[in-house]
Amino acid sequence: MTAIHIADTGLFVAMGHPSKRRYQGVRRFARRNDITFVIPERVYDELTVNISETETPPVDAAIEEQWARIAGQLDYSISLVSRTMDGVQRYIANADNRPADEIERADPALAAVAAQALIEGTADHAYIYTTDRLAGEGAETILQSEGYGDSVTYVNGFRFVEDLLDL
Amino acid sequence: MSSTSNRANGDVIRDFLSVADLLEEPQLAQLYAYLAREGETTVGELMEALDLAQGTAYTYVNQLVDTGVLEATTDGQPRTYTTRDIDLTITTTDSGREYTITAALIDAVGRRTTDEDIDTYINRHGIAGLATALTYAVDRERGDVTHRTMASDLDISPLAAEIILQALRPIVTEYFEIEPSGGSVADIQGVDQDVVSDDT
Repeated sequence: MTAIHIADTGLFVAMGHPSKRRYQGVRRFARRNDITFVIPERVYDELTVNISETETPPVDAAIEEQWARIAGQLDYSISLVSRTMDGVQRYIANADNRPADEIERADPALAAVAAQALIEGTADHAYIYTTDRLAGEGAETILQSEGYGDSVTYVNGFRFVEDLLDL
Repeated sequence: MSSTSNRANGDVIRDFLSVADLLEEPQLAQLYAYLAREGETTVGELMEALDLAQGTAYTYVNQLVDTGVLEATTDGQPRTYTTRDIDLTITTTDSGREYTITAALIDAVGRRTTDEDIDTYINRHGIAGLATALTYAVDRERGDVTHRTMASDLDISPLAAEIILQALRPIVTEYFEIEPSGGSVADIQGVDQDVVSDDT
């Protein structure tokens, strides 16, 4: 079984600096299990924006250490990919009564990266690691409606990082 | 004391200025949050719990009594003090959801002395901004918004939104009912969960 592990911004923020136990716990987990976290392009852009007074999350360190990589471009000509993108966007908009076109496209991109890997057959299961419950549940719901219910798991980024500390 | 104001127009705490002034002093906020959690407390207990000198403890308590957020519950010695409920209610225009955030907000402000992310956010956006962020933190944990929704509403970067939401999360889980969501390590198939090794 091949799985794709897709990581959102919050996972890297929750890990903290490479000197922290949280970061090291996730790295150890990835290495031990030969996992490379896949970061959608929009998420990578978000993580590497330069805001003063704040430490940049350790995404480049994880890429250099080869347990994270940036996802390839999304192929919107695959209809499952574009349907997933639109579906999650609507799901997130509906939760808060907003117009769908106001929803930032990094949220649905997590699910769209999963959809592309599943339909192209590069993975038979997608794990989405996010601290945004709405994005995680939206991805599960929309991909379930596309017949991929058993193939997608939303992993709560906070619980994941905390549980690795306890192991 | 009670007031209602609106998140969207940015005047979250306009009616709340006396308490907002108080919130400028994180030590006072810490003291208030401690009393709110512990109930009736003597000055001696506060000195011990918060590591305060006697003079400082009395100054803080008297200041909070004068502001009206603490009251003495006994006339005998030693006096005990308790918090008066202060309900600041915030209603969003979009969804009509209401939040009573006072105790959580005061606790959050009290943590700025030890939490750099909260301190940075207050320096940039003020206590009123932190109150707004707290409402998004509640909504995020409940699955109504994402950090990106907050970023676009408040015109800040998604990363800045994520950082303050994570800093506020322990407060949200302490003061609000949050259902757990999503899977964790045990739900990831085919992995070795025993990751305790020294390969770093």
